[in-house]
Amino acid sequence: MSRNQRFALVGAAIAVAVIAFVIASSGGGDDNGGSTGNSQTQTTGGGGSAGQAQVERIDIVGDEVKGGVRNIDVTKGSAVRIVVSADKPDTIHLHGYDIEKEATPDKPARFAFTADIEGVFEMESHTFEDAGLEAGVAKLVVEPS
Amino acid sequence: MIPIAHGLVSRADLPIPEWLFGWAAAMVLVVSFVALAVLWPEPKLQREQWFPLFGGRRLITRPVEIVCGAIGVFLFGLVVYSGLKGSQNAQANFAPTFIYVIFWVGLVPASVLFGDILRAFNPWRAIGRTVAWIARAVARTDLPPPLEYPRGLGRWPAAAGIFAYATLELVSSSNDSPESLAIATLLYSAATFVAMALYGVEAWSARGEAFSVYFNLFSRLSPFEAREGVIGVRQPLSGLPGLTELPGTVALLCVMIGSTTFDGAAEAEPWTSIAPRLSDFFQDRGLSLKDALEATFAVGLVGGILFVASLYWIGSLGAKSVGGGFTTTRLARTFVHSLVPISLAYIGAHYLTFLVFNGQSIVFLASDPLGDGSNLFGTANHQIDYGVLGSSPTWYLQVGLVVAGHVAALTLAHDRALALYPQPRLAVLSQYWMLAVMVGFTSLALFLLSQANV
Repeated sequence: MSRNQRFALVGAAIAVAVIAFVIASSGGGDDNGGSTGNSQTQTTGGGGSAGQAQVERIDIVGDEVKGGVRNIDVTKGSAVRIVVSADKPDTIHLHGYDIEKEATPDKPARFAFTADIEGVFEMESHTFEDAGLEAGVAKLVVEPS
Repeated sequence: MIPIAHGLVSRADLPIPEWLFGWAAAMVLVVSFVALAVLWPEPKLQREQWFPLFGGRRLITRPVEIVCGAIGVFLFGLVVYSGLKGSQNAQANFAPTFIYVIFWVGLVPASVLFGDILRAFNPWRAIGRTVAWIARAVARTDLPPPLEYPRGLGRWPAAAGIFAYATLELVSSSNDSPESLAIATLLYSAATFVAMALYGVEAWSARGEAFSVYFNLFSRLSPFEAREGVIGVRQPLSGLPGLTELPGTVALLCVMIGSTTFDGAAEAEPWTSIAPRLSDFFQDRGLSLKDALEATFAVGLVGGILFVASLYWIGSLGAKSVGGGFTTTRLARTFVHSLVPISLAYIGAHYLTFLVFNGQSIVFLASDPLGDGSNLFGTANHQIDYGVLGSSPTWYLQVGLVVAGHVAALTLAHDRALALYPQPRLAVLSQYWMLAVMVGFTSLALFLLSQANV
């Protein structure tokens, strides 16, 4: 490869880098756009008091999650409250955080905790699991603060 | 209807943010162009230089070999025993975590850093050698020589073995059953011992035994290599060009990259839309739900492997089209060693947090391997600390691994092209095609990282 060719290639590389930077900086503004169907519970601030948090409700009716399985998006450090009501006795398990709560037709399962682990966590119904159904009833998505 | 990969995973990674995806993809292109401009014009890596350490003293002596082999056999026995006799809860049993996390994933970075560790601890090799030694001692004469390893067989048994393993992990519905894992381990061991008896312990370990071959590939990226018991160092990346060209190697690498691709793709679109339809299709053909799901995942796994294979094949066809008189097969075999760092990047990016988080389980499982409440070392109540690696460092590590794998692959392919083509012009032209293949693999890896889970 000749000297000129080398310079041309390095020049092309710099051009690509500049274009990439322009694209990345102009497109980077709407990171939190969120996909459709996700509930947006961006409870920022991270106060320890669970009382301030918006409550997420999940209803299980007739072996189905009303409105389908959805994502619960929160920021790390925020207080999370999730209430799962079920028309049959059930045990609801939040993986990773490893919290298990009982739900009965009269008394829903209530989760109240601080989202201190980042990642995506499956919330499962043991009744679904035992029936051989897909066990997930919701996904907790904890983004970095 | 997508079960999470296996019963061990209770947390999944956040996808890398869009801006990081964009930057990483741009980096890959920049690096590729710069590489074309500045990489050396004469082959540099083809002759492996190896320098002995510790004054060339033999450190891996017979007693060291015996101790390491005994440790390997002990762990092997513990896996089988826990799987058969222990709790059948995947997270409370030693076997699934040891096989899936410590052995399958953990040995990859260990081999890259420290060399061919499995060779020292390999339980099948240790048992095979011991049996041969006892047989010699009893017979008081040399055993009849083993059959010659058929040249056409090459690394095909290893490719088949890794495919079988991937099927067990990613397709089988009993993939988190400790008992099934123990039985699979025993079946694999039986097949291995038969093959060792036929072809000899060393020949089978070098070419046929899937895990020996698999981890040996990664150990070739290591600066360390033991020769005749002497530990030495070599130039980075100079271990892979020495990989002997054998049939089945391309298939092995395609299985390796393809199965990781499928494991990553199985968590995200478009697969999460395709899978339920496929599963319905199989159920309409009379399969039970469980069989239909397995059939669906089998299609996905084979699809992932074929996708990777066709991408590589297109690159080899392209390289052939520039001239030089090499067949496509010859080119595919000649450049296949450059896919090893790509495979490493896929594994690193995809299983990084699985290793860092689920690997911690081994601390409490070591104290309570059967899940029966025992506490041998006082660590049975240890828990996984998810705080050790946050999302941002995870993203940078994942992307860094993918880009580093890309650079290593480019370098290896470039060096091989210089050695292969008598005319430098053809070497450069052929590398446009290989570069396109690498950019394809790397973009796919980044895409999978940006899609995962959500």
